[in-house]
Amino acid sequence: MMQSFYKIIYLLLILSSTYLSSQLRIEITGGSDEPIRVAMVPFEWKLNSAPSQYLHEIVKKDLESFAEFAVLNPEDMLSYPSLEEEISYRDWRLLKVDYLIIGSVLKSEIEGEINIAYSILDVSRRKNIHKALIKGSVKSLKRMGHNISDRIYHKINGIPGIFSTRIAYVDKPLSDADSYDLRITDIDGDGDLSLFKSNQPILSPDWSPNGKEIAYVSFEEGTSRIYIQELATGNRRALKRERGINSSPSWSPNGNYLSAVLSKGDNPDIYLYNLRSNAWTPLTGHYGIDTEPDWSPDGKSLIFTSNRSGSPQIYEINISSMRIKRKTFEGTYNARARYLPDGKNIIYVHRRKGVFHIALHNLRTGKISILTDTFLDESPSVAPNGNMIIYATKDRETDTDILAGVTINGKTRFILPSVSGGAREPAWSPILDKY
Amino acid sequence: MTLFQEFLALVVIICSFSACTNTTIERTSEATAVPAIATSTYSEPSLASSSTVYFSYDNYNINSTGSEKIKSLASIVKENGLNVRVEGHCDERGTREYNLALGEKRANAIAELLIINGVSSSNITTVSYGEEKPESRGSNEKSWSKNRRALIKTS
Repeated sequence: MMQSFYKIIYLLLILSSTYLSSQLRIEITGGSDEPIRVAMVPFEWKLNSAPSQYLHEIVKKDLESFAEFAVLNPEDMLSYPSLEEEISYRDWRLLKVDYLIIGSVLKSEIEGEINIAYSILDVSRRKNIHKALIKGSVKSLKRMGHNISDRIYHKINGIPGIFSTRIAYVDKPLSDADSYDLRITDIDGDGDLSLFKSNQPILSPDWSPNGKEIAYVSFEEGTSRIYIQELATGNRRALKRERGINSSPSWSPNGNYLSAVLSKGDNPDIYLYNLRSNAWTPLTGHYGIDTEPDWSPDGKSLIFTSNRSGSPQIYEINISSMRIKRKTFEGTYNARARYLPDGKNIIYVHRRKGVFHIALHNLRTGKISILTDTFLDESPSVAPNGNMIIYATKDRETDTDILAGVTINGKTRFILPSVSGGAREPAWSPILDKY
Repeated sequence: MTLFQEFLALVVIICSFSACTNTTIERTSEATAVPAIATSTYSEPSLASSSTVYFSYDNYNINSTGSEKIKSLASIVKENGLNVRVEGHCDERGTREYNLALGEKRANAIAELLIINGVSSSNITTVSYGEEKPESRGSNEKSWSKNRRALIKTS
């Protein structure tokens, strides 16, 4: 009785906040593993001006985002070291802390700049496992915090953190049928801004491998055409347009080519576009629909959707031998596949009993797992560390288009609600702050 | 203090954490993005007529009602020397790019039937909007059936 009451309150909170903020919200659905226990001592602040935000709060929020970490509150700490010789490991072992982070924020000789020096320590081994110095502008304190979170995640989990990454998506507000907006946001929902607005459809954003450009499709000329926009300048260029569909761009891992879909041969086929010579070369030439190419991480093959067997299924083409192999055999609708960074697994839209889900498919073993249980799931995009995916879905309660995510083990789900009620086609950026 | 001296001072601070091993030094860059402005904005020419043909799910066959419509439209187009723009549309089910392809199949099917009925192919343009421009919003068959359509616009 009491439990269902709380459930209702929780639902009400979720529904009401949908319209108030676009902050990331997490829901732990699966029996999560025991989280890794981390303590981050509030960094010693050696500047004259007061901090605008606290680094340990930024890092705590990041690390706890996907339920993999539990971060100790400063008020529960027994000591507050900022140098390694001040650490009493006994204090941290008593608190069952696995990893300790200490550091200082220091003045820089450059106006408006700060330096952050910090260490990550393994409490059980009493060992400093990482030392770093981050330089940056005072204004980018939050990004520096995300950067520290990424590093902690990497040092402890062995795979890159994704707290500095961003999500590109298309927004179509419920209130305006003729407004399409290509936007980007930090993954915590902050820093949401517009890249390109149009009164005609925008679709299929795809990040360049260096994270500096986004390719997308715009109908601003009354028909589909592929554009590439540089984020820092807002400059954009149009790809050479062909008759019919010009769509579904996917950047090659080396950044020199796009694969895309043209229908100039009277039906949609996969083509390569050489970004230096601006020339199109056909890759497939079947009379059925071939679409939605995605480049393998090693750059040697592409996966794509084709209805050549009668229903949409996933195929893989080897670019040098041009050999095509069918990859999916379960169900009558498998489409828009994306490789995971390991190249051995793919995710795609899979229809089961009339409902569209996101499926994870191991290409070696053929094992298929359904990752999502929401409604009309589409456009899955993989985080650059391969550990989670984001996709577009319909929130049936509010009848709005939202972005939702799930960890690849299916244990933690999250949603990134939209302010306008029309978020779609998420594209996860590559790792942006290389380290 | 020069930049180099400042750098050395910092290294000393970090090294004081413990015996100096490797320290990573990196720079966090500001994440900025500037919006782009559309170079051209498509606006529809003033239309002489607009008619709609509906389709069944995942299908681009034209039913008898549709073919009758196209037949009478074709003679009007020929008589008046009109230009035709055919737009293919889909319902929201399935992936966006696949629906873009399916919408083109619908538009092409209409274009072919117009040509069979004597309209010159040079007077016809086709475009697919996939599921991007629904006629009716709503995730049910009532809306979906209205959205699986081709619009035949003459000007």
